[in-house]
Amino acid sequence: MNNSAIRNWLGYATLALMVAALFMVFDYVPPEAEQGIAQLIFYFHVPLAWVAFASFGLVAIAGIFYLWLGDQLWDDLGYAAAETGMVFCTLMIVAGSIWAKPIWGTWWTWDSRLTTTFILWLMYGGYLMLRASADDTPQTARFGAVLGIVAVLDVPIVIASVRLWRTIHPAVLVTKQGGHGLEDPRMVTTLLVCLAAFTLLWVWLLMLRFNQLRTHSRMGALAVRIAFATAAADDGK
Amino acid sequence: MLRKDLRLELRSGESTLALLALSMLVLVVLVFALDAARVRSVDAAAGALWVAMVFAGMLGANRALLAERDNGAIRGLLLSPLDPATLYAAKLAAAFIFMAVAEVGAVILMVLFFNLDFDGSTVRLAPILILGAIGFSALATLLSAITGRTRGGDMLLPILAVPIFVPALIAGVKASAAALAGAPFATMGDWLKIMIAFDVLFVTAGYLLFEYVIGQD
Amino acid sequence: MSAPVVETHSLAKTYGLAPVLREVDLRMLAGTGAFIIGGNGAGKSTLLRMLAGLEAPSGGRALVFGQDTRRLAARYRRRIGVMAHESFLYPMLTARENLEFYGELFSLADPHSSAQLWLGRVGLAEVADVRVRTFSRGMEQRLSAARAMLAEPALLLVDEPFASLDHDGAEIVASLLRGAIERGASVIATAHAVPEIDGVEFAVFEISRGLLLPHAHKEEVRRGRIRSLLGR
Repeated sequence: MNNSAIRNWLGYATLALMVAALFMVFDYVPPEAEQGIAQLIFYFHVPLAWVAFASFGLVAIAGIFYLWLGDQLWDDLGYAAAETGMVFCTLMIVAGSIWAKPIWGTWWTWDSRLTTTFILWLMYGGYLMLRASADDTPQTARFGAVLGIVAVLDVPIVIASVRLWRTIHPAVLVTKQGGHGLEDPRMVTTLLVCLAAFTLLWVWLLMLRFNQLRTHSRMGALAVRIAFATAAADDGK
Repeated sequence: MLRKDLRLELRSGESTLALLALSMLVLVVLVFALDAARVRSVDAAAGALWVAMVFAGMLGANRALLAERDNGAIRGLLLSPLDPATLYAAKLAAAFIFMAVAEVGAVILMVLFFNLDFDGSTVRLAPILILGAIGFSALATLLSAITGRTRGGDMLLPILAVPIFVPALIAGVKASAAALAGAPFATMGDWLKIMIAFDVLFVTAGYLLFEYVIGQD
Repeated sequence: MSAPVVETHSLAKTYGLAPVLREVDLRMLAGTGAFIIGGNGAGKSTLLRMLAGLEAPSGGRALVFGQDTRRLAARYRRRIGVMAHESFLYPMLTARENLEFYGELFSLADPHSSAQLWLGRVGLAEVADVRVRTFSRGMEQRLSAARAMLAEPALLLVDEPFASLDHDGAEIVASLLRGAIERGASVIATAHAVPEIDGVEFAVFEISRGLLLPHAHKEEVRRGRIRSLLGR
């Protein structure tokens, strides 16, 4: 099937890029002067952040399309995006925490980025809890879509308010704007490779999960058709 | 529509009072948790106030929609020419009024418990609290239409509402603390802008999305 | 021939994986009445809910006043009256307040007098200002009927109107249904068994295994086009 061929190809490409990324991070790029080895987490942290937010955006976009077109496909996409995004968001928080410890000495700090990510994580969690606690009906799908849209609309405001919160009361530990002092061109290249690698990983996982959900939905529809056909066949008796 | 809801509220007087009292109790808990007697702090006071407010807001939004659960009245409304946006507005208004009443009580208690003064700074809280109440009511009314019909039910509403409300919460608490400390409105400009943006955004979103959320099936 | 008030094409509905209704083809013209009978869970209420626009069909289409029921505009909903198991009444309001509220909701010119009129018609005039919470089931049912007919709907969807009604109550509701048809409205009602209503010809259908079939005991005027076992 064409679909699975694409997925396999994607899987291999992801693997290749991830290996390249790892190599570049640990072997190729020079560590930043101030933070030392721990700064390398940055090369994972940033792509994870991008993916987590992008996935969230996808949940909302899929939600809009679902409300507009009503096709179950969009709901499956949204749900897959939410689950995948949750994984990356969790990883991002963990990465952030690992980064924080050697640099600032604590496992957690309420700096603006980590805080925003945490809120995002909570919203993801809420979405998943909602879907888990309700039956598999079009109405639940609508609920999910609305929640996704509402949450995404909120994200810019969250970012703005958290940033404001933190500039007025700067955290005891000053935020390292680790991304913007990329002197060495090798750093830029590494970052780009990592971005590409994680994006590909995201897409691959997303497609896997999406396919699972699609198959599930299609099977459900098929089962309904069979039920109808059986009933019709029984009429003839 | 709102008239009917208000009349209903007044009729079921006892439970409304109980819920208001519950919101106040939250404030009391915080007084002891934060040791208000010892610490004279506008930040703590503002924080406690907003916690009680959010609590009241969730109760208020739930109740507004609860009124339609008896005898399936919600379906009666859906079957009528009433359009969902109007229904949303009515529920939002009901939740807002409930929250506003709770706010008044909470402010009074806050001033008393946190050893503050009843002066101009308290009055200047009003617009901040109103903005907060509008935003939270808008959000909670929309979300409680969702949570009311899922198995998680009432437990789910805070889980969904609070993270989304965080920006307005931060802004509200900061602005309230500033107001209590006597700062003029000009300095709170950014916070107020955030709250206004939040309100506009979520009232609009609620208007547009409510119809998808209250339909049956 | 005038346009049908209600029309369905291969209407189907599933709950989960179980088909509840299938291939329902129905056509109702103005001024006609139909009773749909069937056992519990046969799908009668489901059918009514789909016609009212409360539930979306899983397959096929339902048209009321020529409009798809999934997207019924407000001006069409105004012409539909529904009476169901649930009374849609607010227990903490009085009978009159309930009716006046619904009157306003349905944009009646004078909700107060309409409410007064219908309270009389269903025999609840004396308890007009009593809270519905204290009503017996039969009184609730009668008030619910008044609420449904308040706006003089062109289409009445009634789910088991005679359930939990005593003889007088049933008389009242029967005459209301009769009056509605004489006015030119269409009535679709459900029941467990074939009812006896004098004065009007009702078509009778049965839902069996998800199919809508003409009831074996009644031939009638102007029934809808139906797939039946006999035809195969």
